[in-house]
Amino acid sequence: MLTEEENEALCRVGPGTPMGEVLRRYWTPAFQLGDLPEPDCPPIRVTILGENFVAFRDTEGKLGFLDELCCHRGASLTLGRVEGCGIRCLYHGWKYAVDGTIMETPNLATSTFRERVKHGAYPVHEAGGLGWVYLGPPGTEPAFPNFSWANAPQDEFSVSEIIMDCNWMQAQEGSIDSSHVGILHLDTLATMGSGPRSVGSFDFAGEPWDLDMQVPGGVRRMPGDAPRPGVWPSEDNAPRIELETTPFGFHYAAIRDADEPGKKFVRITAFVLPYTAIIGGSNGGVIVVPRDDYSCSTIGVFRLPPGTDRAVAEERVRRGIDPAVWGPEPENRRLKLPKQDREAMAAGKSFAGFRGGNRVQDGAVQMSSGKMYDRAKEHLVPADLAIIRMRRLFADSIRLIEAGHDPVGIGVDYDSTQVTAVSTIIDADQDWRDLVPGHQGTREPAS
Amino acid sequence: MSVVVDNACTQIWDALHGGASVKSLRVSPAVYDVVAAARSGEVARNYPLMLLGLPLVADDDVAIYDPVVN
Repeated sequence: MLTEEENEALCRVGPGTPMGEVLRRYWTPAFQLGDLPEPDCPPIRVTILGENFVAFRDTEGKLGFLDELCCHRGASLTLGRVEGCGIRCLYHGWKYAVDGTIMETPNLATSTFRERVKHGAYPVHEAGGLGWVYLGPPGTEPAFPNFSWANAPQDEFSVSEIIMDCNWMQAQEGSIDSSHVGILHLDTLATMGSGPRSVGSFDFAGEPWDLDMQVPGGVRRMPGDAPRPGVWPSEDNAPRIELETTPFGFHYAAIRDADEPGKKFVRITAFVLPYTAIIGGSNGGVIVVPRDDYSCSTIGVFRLPPGTDRAVAEERVRRGIDPAVWGPEPENRRLKLPKQDREAMAAGKSFAGFRGGNRVQDGAVQMSSGKMYDRAKEHLVPADLAIIRMRRLFADSIRLIEAGHDPVGIGVDYDSTQVTAVSTIIDADQDWRDLVPGHQGTREPAS
Repeated sequence: MSVVVDNACTQIWDALHGGASVKSLRVSPAVYDVVAAARSGEVARNYPLMLLGLPLVADDDVAIYDPVVN
């Protein structure tokens, strides 16, 4: 639980707030590169950390990330023309370069102003199909963490973003909460082929109900097919949680008794401060970014296996997406929850009653807590250890920033390419840390 | 509270891994008061104050950031 003051400090992200100051000291994923596909294409408005920006790709292909409003009279540069290696405001024609240089001021003949003043501009880094920006004090940006999953060419990524109308912490806490997977996501496990399962006294037949939902890995069980062994090899809904703090955040393992005697099912997640959960069994991560205090983007970034047909992969991402609920198009990314199917729930066909897969199921419960959940009311349990540790690391970071230091995870040496996650069955006496050998980090290799 | 809860939760898992049972959580009176203030609704209904699934016990001998699991 947190007091009201602690909850406010954790959740609010605008300029000058404790957490806002912390988050501005990390590289922040701000937009999809696919939204700025070519030089001089239309600009986009980006809302992150409670501020509005304009992002554009100039004539030479360079990305610009500027304060949204023209510094002359405040018109939005998202209406502007991208041309001649800059973006021009429609109102009076002021033009800006990607570094904020004021290139032209048509209604101001003298050059003194534009020679002495720059528009707010921020460093941009392209990686993992995303444009990452640094919003901290100029000159303090840390080295970009080159995670292995983000180093492939852009066309080898699947990126999908869902905007949720709730504070980002509600989504972020869900991304490091393994103990809900075998319960909330029973319908997903059924479609993947897990077969019958139970939650408490409720026996779930485990027949696939939502045949079109997206499932991890893309392999699904169709009606009439036998259950697929190994999909979720444990009936244990009370995982033991083990956690180890690392230079980048922490690794935690949810350890369940496996169906096979003498074995355990471990699901290891790497949490990389402050936005990213690299989840075992996937080939990428889930990134949660605050747009403002009451909305966030959850971004799934997954590297496609070598040789994957891009068109096939995109079709797989789109499969099961109901455009009335959510879609990958920029204007359709805000999650609109579908009606819960109470009849299917009552008939034992569905556990949660939400079509659309894990992210819709997650969105339903996370947004159900309200725009900003009051954590004074919660009753945490030991299975919430990863959430508890994350809050502590953020609280530590707030104190560090207030004392004039870097936040946790910044300014430490570790090889970000070695940060991995795993989901597998191992011998009961094996240490899960053996599976993530980079878990304590190593020095960056000499370049 | 984030530090107190983290320390308590870590202790609980350590105890459970060691095969011990856990029955209560002793905290400093200051921490107890913070929890009581945050959970005023539960106090008003005469529910026991609990944290991490354990009954809270105020103990003058416990430091603020070092709760003790019993």
